[in-house]
Amino acid sequence: MEFEPKIVAFLCNWCAYRGADLAGTSRFHYPPNLRVIRLMCSSSIDVVYVLKALLDGADGVLIGGCHPGNCHYQNGNYKAMRRVQVLKDVLRQVGIDEDRVWLRWIDASEGKLFSETVDQMVSELRAKGPGSMRTSWQLWQETAGCQLSGTESGPDK
Amino acid sequence: MKVEAVPKAEEGNILEASRDFLGKLLREGIVDYLLVPMEISHGRTLVQTLVKEPAHLDKANPFSPVMPVSSAAIVSQLTIDKPEERLGAVLKPCEIRALIELVKLGQARLENLVIIGVDCLGTYEVEDYARLIDEMKGTAEEKGMQVLADMRQHIAEPDTKPLPVPLRSACKMCNSFTPVLADITLGLFGGENVISVNLESGLVEKLGVEVKETANRQKSITQLVDSRTQTREHVFAEFREKTKTIVGFADCLDTCIRCYACSAACPICYCRVCFFRTDTFEPESGRYYRWVDQEGALRMPTEILLYHLTRLNHVALSCCGCGVCESACPRGLPLTTIFQAVGDGLQKALNYVPGRSLEEEIPLATFKETEV
Repeated sequence: MEFEPKIVAFLCNWCAYRGADLAGTSRFHYPPNLRVIRLMCSSSIDVVYVLKALLDGADGVLIGGCHPGNCHYQNGNYKAMRRVQVLKDVLRQVGIDEDRVWLRWIDASEGKLFSETVDQMVSELRAKGPGSMRTSWQLWQETAGCQLSGTESGPDK
Repeated sequence: MKVEAVPKAEEGNILEASRDFLGKLLREGIVDYLLVPMEISHGRTLVQTLVKEPAHLDKANPFSPVMPVSSAAIVSQLTIDKPEERLGAVLKPCEIRALIELVKLGQARLENLVIIGVDCLGTYEVEDYARLIDEMKGTAEEKGMQVLADMRQHIAEPDTKPLPVPLRSACKMCNSFTPVLADITLGLFGGENVISVNLESGLVEKLGVEVKETANRQKSITQLVDSRTQTREHVFAEFREKTKTIVGFADCLDTCIRCYACSAACPICYCRVCFFRTDTFEPESGRYYRWVDQEGALRMPTEILLYHLTRLNHVALSCCGCGVCESACPRGLPLTTIFQAVGDGLQKALNYVPGRSLEEEIPLATFKETEV
């Protein structure tokens, strides 16, 4: 059976969530791989929720916010962007594929863009294959302990 | 304008000289209270102490070779609601950096605060220091002086004068051990058995210090910065090689018991109620059974990786490298390495240095409209 990625989508109430609605009422097709969670603003997501999704086996996380300048709360999307930038940097540094997290700007009027974004994300995640974290128990079976020499082997013993 | 000066004291007694100097700050009314490390248990350990009476300073050691907590969190407690009392806080460079971050996060105030920064020779783990003192001979005062003298000698001649016990790992990789944003600096580097003070020239007469420059200060600092930077790069390179996969990262945390000691000790992790201590992550029992129904097996306590990854996102940008997280960890996890290495990556990517300046905004607390 072909691998089907699971995506958790955090969508802003004022834009991306309504874009998803519009995609539905306009009968645009997109693959059913999304689990949508509605937020009042893309900036109201704490990274802990994105991390929780990834660590509990989501293959990707989509965060949908308003286009720059269009934020219902003036500047929430700019703040979300910085937060996602830091999150992706941390993910890369600890060996988790940062490209599994997508931040996209999608307006309430952009039903077409919403369905295209999901299409594209699903096909890219299909190509990547499953995320590294199907279950956390598996991960703890693969670990082998710290084994860092740290400051012990540096020049300043 | 600031000048460098040397407090007058009996030949070579740097502790006496520093106590005398601190006492004058109180007596001359430059500050009403002092926060300073003081010896307890006959010198076996030192703790941060709030002092009003200069007479109590006989147990003070501003150059304390232990750091059981980061005083930045204490200064936050003592300044957050804008008290009228003027506080002088004796702080190590990493504590000043953390304090600056807390000010930017709205958790501390500088209005009535005089920051007395000290040159840091490094610190020992609390247990190591107590054992070291137990093994030494002499009075508590003599032992305290000897420990500092040994540390200064080690810095001057690292190859021939080893330290009796290793420094805390945070200190071994610390390359910013001189205060940056201090009102008054107590200096140890470069002088021969003296301390120097760096302060506003108007205070020279009031505090009875002698204007005089200590030779070789910059040279001895540069040498230590170079060797520490080498250690740092080595530690970071090893960590980055290991964490190319999430399994390598999990390796570093495999014995974590999620006791929250690291976040309780961290000066930057300031939330009164941590998210991880709410019902969201300590839910009713049934949730665990439903969870394991799906997964088959579940490590308890849960969410070890989530906890550390979230903390990395929340605090690594402001991580000042004090390493009290690692000292507090009952499992000895390499938390300093993790937070310093990841923090270094983030800080370079966003061109941000925690504690460098008050004007520089924390990247997560600001944005630019042009950067989209």
